[in-house]
Amino acid sequence: MSWLLPSNSSHHFLGLDQPVRIVQGLGSGSQGQVFKVQVGGESLALKWYWPSCLGRDPGLAERLQESIRRGSPNADFLWPLALVRPKAAQRAALGPAGRGFGYLMALRPASYRGAVEHAAGRLTISLQNVLKAAFGLATAFHALHSRGFCYKDVSLGNVFLDAEAGRILIGDNDNVEVSGRGGGAVIGTWGFMAPEVALGLSRPDGGSDLFSLAVLLFYMLTRHDPFKGALERAMPCLDLAARRRLYAEDPVFVFDRRDGRNRPDPIEHAAALLTWPIYPRELQQLFEQTFGAGLRDPGRRSLTGQWRQVLSASLDQRRLCGACGQENFAEPQAASLCWACAAPLPPPARLLGAAGVVSVAAGNEVHAHHFDPLAPEDLAQPLAQVVAHPQRPQLLGLRNLSCHPWTLHLAGGEAITVAPGETGSLAAALQISSPEGQLRVLA
Amino acid sequence: MPFPNVRLASRPLHFIYLCDCSGSMQAEGKIQALNQAIRQSLPGMVAVARENPEARVLVRAVRFADRAAWHIATPTPVEQLQWVDLQAAGVTAMGEALELVAAELRSPPMEARALPPVLVLISDGQPTDDFELGLAALMAQAWARRAVRLAIAMGDDADAEVLQRFIGSEPGRELPAPAAAEAEVPGASGELPRQRRGRSARRPLQASNATTLARYIQWASTAVVGAASSSSSRLISERGAANGADSGADSWAGSWAGGVPLPDLPPTELDPFEDFDPLLEGDSVDHSGSINNLGPLKW
Repeated sequence: MSWLLPSNSSHHFLGLDQPVRIVQGLGSGSQGQVFKVQVGGESLALKWYWPSCLGRDPGLAERLQESIRRGSPNADFLWPLALVRPKAAQRAALGPAGRGFGYLMALRPASYRGAVEHAAGRLTISLQNVLKAAFGLATAFHALHSRGFCYKDVSLGNVFLDAEAGRILIGDNDNVEVSGRGGGAVIGTWGFMAPEVALGLSRPDGGSDLFSLAVLLFYMLTRHDPFKGALERAMPCLDLAARRRLYAEDPVFVFDRRDGRNRPDPIEHAAALLTWPIYPRELQQLFEQTFGAGLRDPGRRSLTGQWRQVLSASLDQRRLCGACGQENFAEPQAASLCWACAAPLPPPARLLGAAGVVSVAAGNEVHAHHFDPLAPEDLAQPLAQVVAHPQRPQLLGLRNLSCHPWTLHLAGGEAITVAPGETGSLAAALQISSPEGQLRVLA
Repeated sequence: MPFPNVRLASRPLHFIYLCDCSGSMQAEGKIQALNQAIRQSLPGMVAVARENPEARVLVRAVRFADRAAWHIATPTPVEQLQWVDLQAAGVTAMGEALELVAAELRSPPMEARALPPVLVLISDGQPTDDFELGLAALMAQAWARRAVRLAIAMGDDADAEVLQRFIGSEPGRELPAPAAAEAEVPGASGELPRQRRGRSARRPLQASNATTLARYIQWASTAVVGAASSSSSRLISERGAANGADSGADSWAGSWAGGVPLPDLPPTELDPFEDFDPLLEGDSVDHSGSINNLGPLKW
């Protein structure tokens, strides 16, 4: 691999007081190369563009400047921090790279791996963390769109996943632009592009992002492409003409309720058939909406706020099969069977807040939005978590993750205090009082 | 409990090298350069395959000298591939090499469903057998017509016209192939090829030294594999942008092969970068003053 900027070289860039020392090249892509750098004792990432890329995308520097000026929509973006250009005197010494520019961003922590690793089945992740990551994606796009930006090039390749934490990071933010401006050179990645963009009828914008987000969420939740079914199997060579038919000219969602032409193949597309039934009906409906009426009408695609609401509600109704231990997300009220072992799932105990209900299952969390109907869904700061007793796993309690003591009201009329970090047993609890509000325990 | 043990569905992506091993490849360390270039390209190819789980990248190689033979006969997952050095001796049975590949691109043995194959022909000379017969056999196969066909000319004696016939012309998009090929190939005067601006993967790639060869091999085994598995971001066409009306995602800014848009060629020593200067053509920069990163949108 030959690098545009040699390791251990130091550079004085316009607009930066501190020199930038190139530590090592991290990766090379179609737009440029990414380096690990040191700036004033801080480790950062530097992306430097190929000149060919700059020629195609003359608005790039201006777009980056606007993103830098307005700042990251939330903490889940590897957002541009500063645009860097070589000083005139340094340009010649940099060789061909001296004619380009780059931008600084945060380094991706090692715990985050490409979302592609998840889709390829090469990392272990719980269903709860997959849903949390999906919620993180919907929340990140909600924040991005709320600022009037669109992302344009949603794909598995631009998302990183911390499987242990159920958190995401979004990279490659240099195509981000104010929605509707229609600048930039990149319009998306096949399979993720909205049909109107793939057909050349419009440029990517917030509406096409909603389509691409739904595709990304489908990949995350099922490890499958939402449009690869019988129609794809009938195509011998998956070249560009075939992709155009599959994704743009005649796209049919594999689980479309009205059009059954593109059903998954039981062997080749087993991932979709196995995983789709795991998810609650409300969640399935958001996909059906986006990949049904929303295929041709961007105005009818599921909104980021709907994804957030339904994904967080799905997490709330998570429960564990008593027979096999697998995570289930079926309606708590309805009689249902475990998707993995078909054992009956008895109705779970539930925690009832003023604005939400959480099934009692180890790992489930209570958040501020369960108490306050006006609070937006937010999974970042759980107030409480259901935990199993370390010696008696059948005994479940509620750990106080807030910074205030709670009062646990027991069936016998007693009341005990649960300090921050302590866990109160849910076996005999009727109600929990906290400064955030009340939780009733429904056995 | 972990996510169910399932993974993305995938299709095979057959990548086949066709390597000239004639006696002339012994000169100037050409065969060593080719072996080295392919061996060095493998880790990058493995990385691209990992990033594209919807493609199963399977590599094979044909060598041709007095006769053509499979050097790697079994479609080998790239992560298991160990490159055994090619040896050079004999003449240039390129036509027979094409026939060997043609037989493998018939269905069966080709799978019923696959991604467009990638065929990379590397040669430093003229075919000494019936090239036309081989080419006809190859192009009779639908998978060959749909393949991304690339050609690398090693040194100045390669038969550019033959390599261009292997690639095929690109109607309506570029100069007619013979004229383009002539413009690329240095004449007897020893002039450097006029490659600036004119370089295109739809014409034979001129590798005049080991470094350039390595870059082209790296490019074919990584960027092209990524494009054939369709994981790379799509660009609007320059033409479409200029007209104010895009003709869609398939109007790629660059060139095409076998229904696959080809990525930018890598920089080479002869042609390190394209002709434009982004500081002049792109954004406006006040060369007299400094740039404040938190400053206004326009200088």
